Amino acid sequence: MKELLEKLTSAFGPSGYESRVRDLILETIKNDIDEYRIDALGNLITRKGTRKANGKRIMVSAHMDEIGLMVTHVDEQGFAYVTNLGGVRPLNLMSNRVVFADGTEGMLCARDMEPGKIPALDQYFVDTGASSRKSCKVKIGDPAVFVGRFVDMGDRRMSKTMDDRIGCLIAIEALKALKDSPHEVRFVFSVQEEVGLRGAKTSAYSVDPEIGIALDVTLCNDTPGLTERNLKFGAGPCIKAKDGSLVGTPWLNNALYDAAERAGIPYQVEVLRGAGTDAGAISLTRSGVPSSVISVACRYVHTPSEMVDVSDVKQAIQLLVEFLSKEIK
Amino acid sequence: MNDIPKIKEILTDLCSLPGVSGHETPVAEEIKTIWSKLCDEISVSRLGNVYALKKGINAPEDAHRKVLFATHMDAVGMIVTELTGEFVRFEEIGGLDPRILPGQFVTIHTKTGPVKGLIVMPTKSLTKETYGSNPIPLKDLLIDTGYEAEDLQKIVRPGDVISYANDPVSMQDDTFSGHTLDNRASVAAVAVCLQELQTIQHKWDVIAAATVLEEESMAGGKTAPVDIRPDIAVAIDVTFATGPGSKEWNTRPLGSGPALGFGMNIHPKLYELFKGICEELRIPYTTEFSPRMTGTDGRELQVALNGIPTIVISIPLRYMHTANELISMKDVRDVGHLLAEFVHRLDENTMDSLVWED
Repeated sequence: MKELLEKLTSAFGPSGYESRVRDLILETIKNDIDEYRIDALGNLITRKGTRKANGKRIMVSAHMDEIGLMVTHVDEQGFAYVTNLGGVRPLNLMSNRVVFADGTEGMLCARDMEPGKIPALDQYFVDTGASSRKSCKVKIGDPAVFVGRFVDMGDRRMSKTMDDRIGCLIAIEALKALKDSPHEVRFVFSVQEEVGLRGAKTSAYSVDPEIGIALDVTLCNDTPGLTERNLKFGAGPCIKAKDGSLVGTPWLNNALYDAAERAGIPYQVEVLRGAGTDAGAISLTRSGVPSSVISVACRYVHTPSEMVDVSDVKQAIQLLVEFLSKEIK
Repeated sequence: MNDIPKIKEILTDLCSLPGVSGHETPVAEEIKTIWSKLCDEISVSRLGNVYALKKGINAPEDAHRKVLFATHMDAVGMIVTELTGEFVRFEEIGGLDPRILPGQFVTIHTKTGPVKGLIVMPTKSLTKETYGSNPIPLKDLLIDTGYEAEDLQKIVRPGDVISYANDPVSMQDDTFSGHTLDNRASVAAVAVCLQELQTIQHKWDVIAAATVLEEESMAGGKTAPVDIRPDIAVAIDVTFATGPGSKEWNTRPLGSGPALGFGMNIHPKLYELFKGICEELRIPYTTEFSPRMTGTDGRELQVALNGIPTIVISIPLRYMHTANELISMKDVRDVGHLLAEFVHRLDENTMDSLVWED
């Protein structure tokens, strides 16, 4: 599991450029699924099992894409200016390294370096070591992601892009462990979540599920200085009551709580002020899909060093497998 | 005027029930009871929309046209985020103004049943930041249930939904106050319409929808057209009535009748149709200009499927999203009457007349 997570988090896959992540996932799961297809936007849509009399068609979605940057222009001296792909906060950019699809690395700095002030995104540029526009290897439109090495910290793991390769890992491990389910489970590895839940929107339309579950990270607020301490490390997977895109369907959440209790797993009920996940898009598909989210508390989301707790991840897998294995009432 | 007590009775029922966005079941059951006496069929969608079908007459089955009346039934409310000692912290569902919350009684809906609570404001010396003369933000407000910390931990938990707990009040001059008149007033107006349709011949099918989640994601309004496949959609909601501090140009007095929507979400010919009916029958009306997207189900209905001619009809309301909203029951009656007269006029030529010309 550790090796797979390292591979997943290390893969390059900003929103709209997910093919390397998709290839890696497909290679890992192709012997464990009954069929798959890749749709026009690049979503990997798989099927595991068939729908029995007491079963449902369930879409389980984990997004493959990660936040990143895109070059807007390169100046005469070869400095590449950037805009955001997804929710990049200028605060998290300063002095960080980024890598482009061809392996070119660069560091982020800003024009306006007034002490005590956070420069706006349009002030940032990437220095790739080029001496002129002509010699600069990156061009307008090239996407980049954070450099953030995978670190095994014992009980915890740190890397770039835990958001949402941890969801991909949970989906992969669950689909491998899942035996004897009454449900037709459509594991979807979606694209372009970070730029507006776009892959989930189109894949849910084609899957036409009866229940939607997204797997994602959520904000762990057990670090110093945060007033709300409702989600913490080591307290089990989180089940979504509300975020900016979704009110978790009450009967579905009850079924998830029951599954956690059956499996003897602790869980945390999650209320998030903003943000959204694939479940928000799934729930609005066609004539509506009851939906919720199993999430993993993650510290430092959308930085190059996202951190998760190993026991939370293992329990999220257990919870998903238990939920998918039984009839849902 | 003998229908006044009936509207009052319906509003009293509806505004005494919780039904926070995503948790509409209590009010949905009541709406089913009220509407089922006035329609041919009741059904419920996967997300919880309640549909009441009143069949039209004299049209072959395959040529039946359908009009959808969408009224959202969900309410703004709150949700528990964490317990801190003997107090509850919470977050909003829908949009709330934290200034009006302290002092309100609420109900926390727990697994073991309803728990009464009072929203309180910690004294400024106890909050981390100094707010000066600014109001204390939502994140620093608390709910006191009277339980001690240990008991509270056993009963209340994060994710429990919280609703306003005050009873509705019938006020002077045909007015009515209570929580969630946004948008139960419109549910009542649709009941008035269905009541009138009992004695009116109409060719089109009417589907009244009580939609879910309008205050959060408009999920009910977005998905209803896929179930119903209507030819025309009407969103019925509330709008800002003239009140303390309101701007005159985009508000209208209580009792001024239906506010007919006009703007990018509204089909101009539908506006003309409704306006014509108001003028013909001397129903008072105002025009509500919505240069941008309306904050109603109307904006989702218009772009659902391959596009649906849509209009938004609104009931003027004061003190929106507070625990004590205020409407005139006369407006509820006028909106119901207007909707019924609109249905009466729908025929086989209506769709051909709906050409978008501006």
